[in-house]
Amino acid sequence: MTRMNEQSEHSYPVRTANIGSICMISVSQAGCVQIGDRAVTNAKQIGVALQRQEDHPGAGDVFFEMYPLFYRPLPYFDDPGDDNGQVVSLHRTNCAPNITVGHIQVIAAGAASSIQAGNGMCLTGESRIKNVRQYPRPKPYPPIGC
Amino acid sequence: MFNFSVINHQLSVGQIEILGISSASMLQVGDTDTVSLYSMFDTPPESVIVGPMAPLPMPEEAEDISSDG
Repeated sequence: MTRMNEQSEHSYPVRTANIGSICMISVSQAGCVQIGDRAVTNAKQIGVALQRQEDHPGAGDVFFEMYPLFYRPLPYFDDPGDDNGQVVSLHRTNCAPNITVGHIQVIAAGAASSIQAGNGMCLTGESRIKNVRQYPRPKPYPPIGC
Repeated sequence: MFNFSVINHQLSVGQIEILGISSASMLQVGDTDTVSLYSMFDTPPESVIVGPMAPLPMPEEAEDISSDG
């Protein structure tokens, strides 16, 4: 999609975030808290949880590449307007120079998450998790009489 | 040509309370251009419970209101 960003004349070009206070208890693995502006964010988290009957040294190593979930491409947004050369014109008017929030209270932020007070341009977050239970195939019972 | 017009008026929020921000999600106070959030989760079928949800207890305030009414 082709975009054209425009702003009207009676508009503030950039809005500033004003926050009185932030209280966070936990931000876990690769989570991000930022006060300020940011251009590009690429947050990614991959995880495998393998539950086995055998122990791991005996059953062999585990690799992310063994599972297609970790290398399959991300879904792509197929915009029919893009093929037709359609241009989307975005007009943004900021009537006020500030965004005001008194207090933010967050108990927990998970992996590859983003908490930001400020402006951003492009944020991409990706999480791929696979749970596997691995048990040996049960042996068939011998036929009667053997 | 597709015209998309956005007018951002005065925005003032008193308080934001959030229990949890899960994986590959975001909380932002500010403007942004592009946001793409992906989440893939694969689990064995026997670990997925399909059925009626266990009822959660009512909050204390709701119990007071229901007993009054």
